[in-house]
Amino acid sequence: MSGTDYNYDEQGQFFPFFILTMTTLVTIPTTISFLRPSKELENTGTRIDSDFVPEHADLIQGQRKKQKRLERRLKRGLLMVGGWAMIAGMIYLIMVTARITPKIWNPYDVLGIDSSADEKAIKKRYKRLSLTMHPDKAREDPEKNVTIQSINDHWVDVTKAFKALTDEEIRNNFLQYGHPDGKQSFSIGIALPKWIVTEGAGKYVLLIYALALGVILPYTVGKWWYGTQRLTKEKVLVASAGKIFRDYDNEQGESGVIGALSSGEEFNEILAGHKADTGLSKLEQKVLGDSESHVLQALSKKDRQKLDDLEDSRRRKVLTLLWAYLGRVELDDDTLNDEKFEVAPIALRLNEAYSAIALAYGNTKAVVSAYHTSQNLIQALRPGASPLEQLPHFTPAVANAAEAERSRTHLTIQEFMHIPEAQRKARVVDSGLLSQAEYSTAISVASQIPVLNIEKAFFKVVGERFVTPSSLVQFVLKCRFVPPSVQTLPEVNPKDLLDIDPEEGDVAAITGRKNDRSGEKPIQPPLTHAPYYARDNAPRWHVFLADSKQGRIAVPPFTFSTFDKPILDESGKPTFNVQTLKMQFGAPPQAGSYTFVMHVVCDSYIGMDTKMEVTLVVEDASKAEEVEEDDEISEPDEDTIAGQMQSLKTGVAAPKRRKQKDEDSSDGSDTEGDVESESETDTDTDSDED
Amino acid sequence: MWPFDLVDWLMLGVPIAYLVILVGSLTVFSNLYRKRQAANAASLEPWFPPHLQRNIYLTLLHQENPKVPDELLKAALLRRATEDIHRIVQIRNAKQALQALLQRGSVGEDLWQRFQRAEKEIEEELRDVVQEANAFADNWGQTIFQSASEMAQNTHIRERLSEIMSKLAAEKKWWASRKAAIQSDFMKELDEEKTSKSSEDDAVLVESMGKKVARK
Repeated sequence: MSGTDYNYDEQGQFFPFFILTMTTLVTIPTTISFLRPSKELENTGTRIDSDFVPEHADLIQGQRKKQKRLERRLKRGLLMVGGWAMIAGMIYLIMVTARITPKIWNPYDVLGIDSSADEKAIKKRYKRLSLTMHPDKAREDPEKNVTIQSINDHWVDVTKAFKALTDEEIRNNFLQYGHPDGKQSFSIGIALPKWIVTEGAGKYVLLIYALALGVILPYTVGKWWYGTQRLTKEKVLVASAGKIFRDYDNEQGESGVIGALSSGEEFNEILAGHKADTGLSKLEQKVLGDSESHVLQALSKKDRQKLDDLEDSRRRKVLTLLWAYLGRVELDDDTLNDEKFEVAPIALRLNEAYSAIALAYGNTKAVVSAYHTSQNLIQALRPGASPLEQLPHFTPAVANAAEAERSRTHLTIQEFMHIPEAQRKARVVDSGLLSQAEYSTAISVASQIPVLNIEKAFFKVVGERFVTPSSLVQFVLKCRFVPPSVQTLPEVNPKDLLDIDPEEGDVAAITGRKNDRSGEKPIQPPLTHAPYYARDNAPRWHVFLADSKQGRIAVPPFTFSTFDKPILDESGKPTFNVQTLKMQFGAPPQAGSYTFVMHVVCDSYIGMDTKMEVTLVVEDASKAEEVEEDDEISEPDEDTIAGQMQSLKTGVAAPKRRKQKDEDSSDGSDTEGDVESESETDTDTDSDED
Repeated sequence: MWPFDLVDWLMLGVPIAYLVILVGSLTVFSNLYRKRQAANAASLEPWFPPHLQRNIYLTLLHQENPKVPDELLKAALLRRATEDIHRIVQIRNAKQALQALLQRGSVGEDLWQRFQRAEKEIEEELRDVVQEANAFADNWGQTIFQSASEMAQNTHIRERLSEIMSKLAAEKKWWASRKAAIQSDFMKELDEEKTSKSSEDDAVLVESMGKKVARK
């Protein structure tokens, strides 16, 4: 058989191996991805303990289960099971099929010696064998089935082997090629059984080929392509994104956003066919009928008008359901209530698209409205509701009682928790309001909510003392998680508020690929306490800078969902660790001082936004060079942080230097040979929280 | 005819049939595809709702019996220009945002097509208005949009104002009730003080009174 001849696997002993390999290549990755727990934040977060059971908890649970079912990777599971079955089958085939390996005559084996034996050893062995194996010496033994014939044959074999090994050429052949006749031609086989190409089956094989290439492949590619075409980057339908864009308006507040979201095509799936109309009149009666209801107070006149003008009954129903959800209105009908809980997660997804559009317009008010809508949807609260209603058992009436005199501007949870315990309790624990048990549940939830408290915010450029025009600025935010129940905050260690540059040469750290605590698992705050929202939600914080004069976004939002230091210790007590958040952007090309309003907005809790004024001072490039040249001004000033550190270290306060005119550009460079080079480019921040 | 006898026509038919089927199917596909694209483009929803003001103007313009006076036509044209101002502002605001969103893949291609069509439409509309204006009076076309935009501004401000004023009654009511509540609280406090003082502080009061009297 020449080398180019392919022979099929006629005995069927190789194709199981081939198929086994192929199946393994597919099955093992599938299994790994099937069994690996999801890395999504929603699945890894801890929960806020609460024994609060909202009304219709069964419906909400049902919705959650429905979503779980959808997320279950059924196809992958089936593929995995099929793959393993195939593997098992193939292994069985391999086990039962007799292996036919061409037996090569091996003189060493015949003589029973090692292949490393030299000629002398071979001769010795031959002589020894001749003593027992020679036909004259060996004896017949019918019991062991040894006949004269077999003895002769064996002896001939032994002699042949001896001759072969004592012949130099044959022995070399054997050592080199493993075969007494020298180099062998090798054959290539195809690990497919022969019947595939025989007369009868050929057509079917061709048919399968045609199907695979002509139908299945184009279909799969087409499906994938049109699937990606159908959804936008925010994973909403393209049609919905278009409609939301048309309904977008810079000026509209949160209730307008809700109206825009109701135009999404996604709702058609849950309100298909007759569902679009059933119960609409009852729903409208419940939600909009009572003129004193809280929903109507939240709905602006214009938006109410819009709702009444809607001609599409499906959209009308969606919008009314959304308002029913936000107003926590009891609809007295299980299907309607179920739909009420079902629309909220869809609206939240659409809100992502709305936020993207608002960001593209760059209007601060619109972006904030979008973020507030996300808070409202997750907490199931209408726009303008009291933040206290996020707590379990807090109805509008209870919240009103809790706020006592301040009924125009609402109390946040933090403010409420800062009211002295006795007074706080006296306000809400009453007949018709809260019972003692309900009150303690609410307080326990309130003391677990993570509130981000900003300690310091400044701009810096890595390795520079000033922010120079067009440089890559880092906006560093130092903050702590403070539960609302904490009355007195521990002092912040001033060291924690510094941002120490990574050592020079540590490229990975400078480029941001690695932070100081690389390899550690990022810390995630507990999942949002949102008993009415039919999904799990991990809180996220959006940080962005806005230009207050123009009302436009200056630096688009950075979203933070994980942090670098533990928020709670093992026993569940808050650690008050200072967390560092960083965002990078390009400095303006002109020198000058720029004042921004920094917004920190949590996507899931109401009333925990922070607004703060920050000033970015951009120094002329020439000035930065100057300072670098005269380096003898090295003693840090007493009133800078570096100076305080210095006095801590040495025990002597640093000499008071001439008061700098420009406070923002404190130059604190240590000549002490400190390993840490603190870049003190902090352009100071006039922090005023609200 | 020797060359033709040698040809195996059946075997020659096979490649020709292959070519015919291949080219034919591709042509059919491209035809269908283009037709569908065209149909899609034609069925795109217009960006703006029907232009009511323009329709009113054109109806008035073409009304013959009785003929519409010029003043009325001019007013209608101005109204039409005002609506155009609203639209052009919307288009201008949306353009940049839409471009950015399209690049990021946050909106679909057909929204962009609709937008471009609306843009072209509004351009034509503006040109038409200018021509109409020039037909009424020389060079009015150059100033008509200025007046129209002032009108639009004015309406906008009035709308805002009326929106704010519409809240007046409710606010007034709330503050009145708030005031009443505060007053009643104060009165209650005062009453409480009085009752407590009258019981405890009587002696002191008398004493001080007595001092005062003595001094006199």
